[in-house]
Order: sequence, then structure tokens, then C-alpha cells
Amino acid sequence: MTRLHRSAHRAAGVVPAMRGLLAAAAVLAAASCSGGAIAQSTPLSNPQSFVSGSYSSTYYAPGSRPAAPRFRGTTLTGAKFSLAAQRGRLVVLNFWGSWCAPCRREAPVLAALATHFKSSPVAFVGDDVQDSPPSAQAFERTFGISYPSLNDPGEQVALAFHGAVPPVGIPTALLIDRTGHIAGRIVGEVSYRGLRTLITRILAAPS
Amino acid sequence: MTQDLAGRQTTAGASAAGEAPAAEVPAAEVPAAGDAPVAADATPERASRRFGLLSWLRWGWRQLTSMRTALVLLFLLALASILGSVLPQEGIDPAAVSQYYAAHPALAPFLARLSGFDVFGAPWFAAIYLLLFASLAGCVLPRTYRLARSARQPPPKAPRYLGRLPQAAGFRASGGPDQALHAAAALLRRRRFRIRTGDDWVSAEKGYLHEVGNLLFHVALLGLLVSVALGGLFGYKANKLLVEGQTFANTPVGLDAFHPGRLVSAGDLQPFSITLSKFTARYITSGAQRGQPSWYGASIRYNSRYNGPLRSYDVQVNHPLIVDGVEVFLIGHGYAPVFKVTDASGAVRFDQAVPFIPVEQSGLTSAGVVKVPDSQPRQLGFAGVFLPTQIDVAGRLASAFPAPDYPRVSLVSYAGNLGLNSGQPQSVYTLNTSHMRRLAVTPRPLAPGQSIVLPNRLGKLTFTGYRQWVSLAITYDPGQLPALISALTALAGLVLSFLVRRRRLFVRAFPASEAGEDGAGRTATSVEIGGLTRSDAAGGFETEFAELASDIMQQVRGGAAAPGQAAADAAAVGARRFSSQGE
Repeated sequence: MTRLHRSAHRAAGVVPAMRGLLAAAAVLAAASCSGGAIAQSTPLSNPQSFVSGSYSSTYYAPGSRPAAPRFRGTTLTGAKFSLAAQRGRLVVLNFWGSWCAPCRREAPVLAALATHFKSSPVAFVGDDVQDSPPSAQAFERTFGISYPSLNDPGEQVALAFHGAVPPVGIPTALLIDRTGHIAGRIVGEVSYRGLRTLITRILAAPS
Repeated sequence: MTQDLAGRQTTAGASAAGEAPAAEVPAAEVPAAGDAPVAADATPERASRRFGLLSWLRWGWRQLTSMRTALVLLFLLALASILGSVLPQEGIDPAAVSQYYAAHPALAPFLARLSGFDVFGAPWFAAIYLLLFASLAGCVLPRTYRLARSARQPPPKAPRYLGRLPQAAGFRASGGPDQALHAAAALLRRRRFRIRTGDDWVSAEKGYLHEVGNLLFHVALLGLLVSVALGGLFGYKANKLLVEGQTFANTPVGLDAFHPGRLVSAGDLQPFSITLSKFTARYITSGAQRGQPSWYGASIRYNSRYNGPLRSYDVQVNHPLIVDGVEVFLIGHGYAPVFKVTDASGAVRFDQAVPFIPVEQSGLTSAGVVKVPDSQPRQLGFAGVFLPTQIDVAGRLASAFPAPDYPRVSLVSYAGNLGLNSGQPQSVYTLNTSHMRRLAVTPRPLAPGQSIVLPNRLGKLTFTGYRQWVSLAITYDPGQLPALISALTALAGLVLSFLVRRRRLFVRAFPASEAGEDGAGRTATSVEIGGLTRSDAAGGFETEFAELASDIMQQVRGGAAAPGQAAADAAAVGARRFSSQGE
């Protein structure tokens, strides 16, 4: 229930989870006397190692909004992106990956909301983590995603938010207001109503 | 006498405890009941109940902090840990838990209700741990206080009859008792004894280091408990599988598995990033150990914060990277073949390295799956093996050597629904083929650059090459160093308290009218010496006492006697017992 903290949604955890660690401890101990051998953990027996995160939605009232880091990066298509250039617009920054099942289910919602807020001062931008651009672009074609996504296989944008509001799993959506402050966060798969309400609320509040 | 006294005391105590309110006794007759002179008459029952509760609590606390309880709890903790390692655990291997459910459909739900699959997070486990903690703290803290007090205490008064002590000796000397006591005290002080003097006695004590050792041990034990708690609250463990050329950041988003302490949140993780530049493994190429690894190393580049300066490092076995107090260990490695999938129109639908997991060690045969959720017109899935040095063994594929001397991939192809779009997360290492159809393509070993062309215009998969991966264990335990220091201190304290014994020496002197051989009365003193040790684990107190007694005698006699004479006297003195002195 309170497993939010373990919400690395990716199942890759398989490989070395705790068992791997224990094995590793034993192996490391053995290794010191056998000239540096490390054993392989065999996570294949582990078909569903994965911990799901729970959904949570947070709204930060004006005045108590942490400043968003001034991150910049390159999109999947090679264009430059910087948060500073989005000043004056509400930025919906969504962390995702083409391999991530909840991201696949929420993708149509995000595509629809991006269209819904087309004429509003709202910018949708994705942050594609642990992924490769060709696979991510195929994902965007599948779901008709028209907004840009940062190519971030090493989670550097997520790291930039370390001192502010760190994303705690994939997917996580951060909403950054027109002055560059974090006004909302949704952990887990977004719903159409939930995200739309949050965006409308932030747009309506003075910031 | 003592028994009689004790018996009476017990009776008195019982009457005080059992019939404390004594409603029939006028308040004036109970001056001791100072705290409830007013309430005594009005609510005798409440007073009784409160007393009862207090004594129950006191009794409970005494039980909890007893050594026996601590041992029982320790044993229970060990039992629970065995249970936690025998039963599959949800947080470690959820797959094994579901297998257990399948294998024991009747027993599994029952065990689940008792937190059998989450032993270390179970309320009853926490209860054992916390009780043990309370028990140890409750035992150690008052003991520490008592030991500290005892270490500062002056030696006790000399007992009346020194002859009853385990070690005793006596001699006569000329001169007054004061003179004798003075000489004895001076000698003992020089021997670093702590001295206390009375009218006709000197009491000396030595070996306070024994108490210091005891104290150190107890304080260190508390330190150990606190250190372990620190690690459990503020530490974390994580794992990451990293392919050559890839980067990861130490955030929950970048980690594969994350096991934080109770008070760790995402913002507490040290914000470093690691890029795996290259992994190198060397294997023994001949002899009986052929294929055994001889050396491993991972060249990495890392920085300790967002956009921080990059540094290089080689992570090797037992040679972890330490960044911001976090240790990053190399715990495994393998191959990640790179696949590219194009659709019938030639558009790229997938292009990335896919980690395969070794299933055997001698040839590093590795198994894995490729999921292509965004291919058109159908989702595609592939399951198979990577063989670093492929050979044919009676028509079956195998790998003869762990190094990639003849790398081949063999895959079975599927098309249909991968089940990913339902939002239900799944492992990247398994393929759920329940909604997929196996394609009629005969699997054959693919060399790098070769492709499988799928039927029905489903597309094409190309094995473009391979990279290596490492698995890293990331551990942060702020309690590690304090725990080590505490453990070493505890050991030192224990050794000290075993080696040093606390011993006491008492000297009494009183005038003895000595009729000399010539018949003339002279001032003479009878000196008695008694000694005891509290714990004589190391032994040898008897010898020390004999030497001290002889030295005191020499000192008191002012070195008047010839050395030979003194030795003879001492021998006689040492053997003498004051068995009748007390009467």
C-alpha cells in the first residue's frame, strides 16, 4: 500500500533485487579469494518482479510553490528545448518510457488533453527515460503524440528536479506554472479528468 | 538471624503491599503514607488499584529487561529470519511468491494473513525487534549508570575480621599502629591502589579498568543498536542494470529496484549519475578451469550532481565506487544483443540493446525476450538465447565459451497482443504469449547483421550487434561506520574487563603488648592483611596478594629485618590463618 517509494515501475529490477544482493555478498566474499570472480544472478526465474506505485495527485498553492530547475535538453527529433523558453505558459512535464505499461495506457489521455488545451497557454512536453529514440518515436506514432519529448535515457532531467520535487516513479507528471514554479504533481497514470482539473485550477490561480 | 530478619521483612513487605490501604487504621497512625493522607479514607480501592498497576508495570519492566527475555527475543528474531529465508518474500522475489500460491493454494492465503510473505515488514516482526531493542536498552542503560557509579566509588570500609577473607595474612612489628598503617598506605598508594583510611584500618582498591571495560562494552552495545537503527532508517539499497554506453541517475526513476529505509524519500538520494563506458572480462582459456573468469572491470564516468564535472573510475570486484558515502558494487555482467525492427514499409519501430540474462556460467548462454509494442500492424515478441561462442551439440545450440568468439542469437517469433497497453506492468524479461501467435519461422542462429523476415508483411528483425551490461548494487548505510566502531569498542571493553580484575586489600593494625624474651614490655603492633577479588577470571590474585603482604611487612618493619629474614617471615605469614581471630 505505502510502496510509493519503490515505484521504479520498470520490471528490470528483476536482475539483482535483494536476492541478487545476498548472492552478491556471498559471491564477493568468495571472489576475494578466487581471483576476482563474480557470479551471475539469474533473474529469469523471476517473471513478475516489479512493484507498482500508487496514484497520487498534489496541488501546490501559489506562494508555496518550489522553483523548477532550469533544465534544458534535446528532443527525440534533435531540437533544442529549455524550460526558460516556455515562460508564460503552463508546462506539463511527463516522465515516460515506451516500455512502461502505465505510460502506454495514459498516452491517449495525454494526446487528447494536449489537443484540448491547444489554444490555452499550456505546453505539453515529455521526458523519455530509459529508452531509445527509435522505439520512443514509434510509441509517439502509435498514440498520435504531437508534443515534443526530451531524449533523456540517463534521467538527467529527473535528476535536475532532485532539490525541488523529485519524480518518484514512472510515469510522473509535473506541472510548472507560468512563472517557472512547480504547481502540481501526479504520480502514476494520469486520468483525463484528474489532469484536466489540475491544469484548469493552476491556470485559474494567480501565479 | 538473617533468615529470621529476612522473614520478618518479607512479612512486613507483604502486609504493606497486600493490605496497603489499611482502611481500619486511622490516618494518624500511618505517617509513612504521606502521599495520600486525604484520599486514604475516601478512595481506598483506587489507591490499591494504582499501587497494583504500578507494581505490575514495574514487574513487567523487570521481566522485559531481564537477560532471559533478551535471549528469548533474540532467539525469536533468529527463528523469524529463518522463516523469512525459507518462505519466498514479496519484496525480494514476488515471482516465487506467486509460484508458491500456485503450488500450495490452501496454505498460501493462510500464510499471507500471517505476513509470511513479508516477514521483515510484518507487525509481529517489528514487535520482536522493538521489544528486543527495549529489552537491551532497558538492561544496558541502568547498568551503564550503575557501572559508572561503581567506577567512581571509593574503596569500602575494611571489614572487621580480615581473617575471614579469602586471602589473609598477619605479622607483628615494632612501633605504633598509626605508623604501621601509614607505611602500608604509602606503599599501596605507590602501587597505584586507591586508598581510604579509617581509625585503625586502610582499605585499598585497584583494577577499576575492569569496570571501565565493562562500561565501554555496555555503551558500545547501545551504540551498536543505534547504528543498526540508523542504517535501517536512513539507509537504502538499490540495483541497476546498465548497458555499455548508457547512463543512469540515482533517482527512483533511474533505478531498477529501490529498497529505501523507513525515513528515506526520493529527495534524499545522493544525486549522482553513472555512465558505463566499457566492461572488460578476461577468462581462462585453457586447462581444467577453461571459461572461468580471471578478471573483471567496468570503466565508468560519473558525476556527483546534475551537470557536475565528470570523473573516471574503474569499478572492480571488491573495489566499489564510493560517491557521497554511497557504495556502488559490481555484482554481475552479461550481454545485451542489439535489435532493430522495421515494418513492411521499412520504417524503424524498435532499435535498442536488450539485456539477456545468463542461464549458465561456463558458456554464458543468456536468455531474453524482445518486445516490440509499437510495430505495425501487430505487436511483436521474440524469445530466445544469446550464445557468446555458439556450437552445435548433437543438434542443440550451446555456448562453448563465455567470451564472444562466435556470437549468435536464436529467437522464436510471436505476433499479437503483448498485454502492455492494458497498463498492467510486466517484467521486461518475460513474454506473455497468451494473446500471441507463434509465427511460422524456423529459428536459426543469427550472426550479427542477419535478419528474420516475418511472414504476412509483419516486418523484419535484424540482430545488429551486441553490447555488455553490468549489474550494480548501490548501498547507502550511514550506520556502517558507527556500527564498526561500536563493535570494536565492545570487543576492547570485553577484553579489558576479562584481563583486568578488581581487587581489594585491607590492612588493620592494633597495639599488641608483646612480652619480649627479656621480659620487658615494648610497643608492638599486630598487623592483619586481608584481600579479595571480585572476579578472578585470569587467576593469579593469590600470588599478587602474597607478594603485596610481604612488601607491606618489609615496609612496616622499616626494612630493619634482613632481606632473608623478611622473606622467611613473609612465608610464615602467608601461610598463617586467623581462623580464631574473630571469636
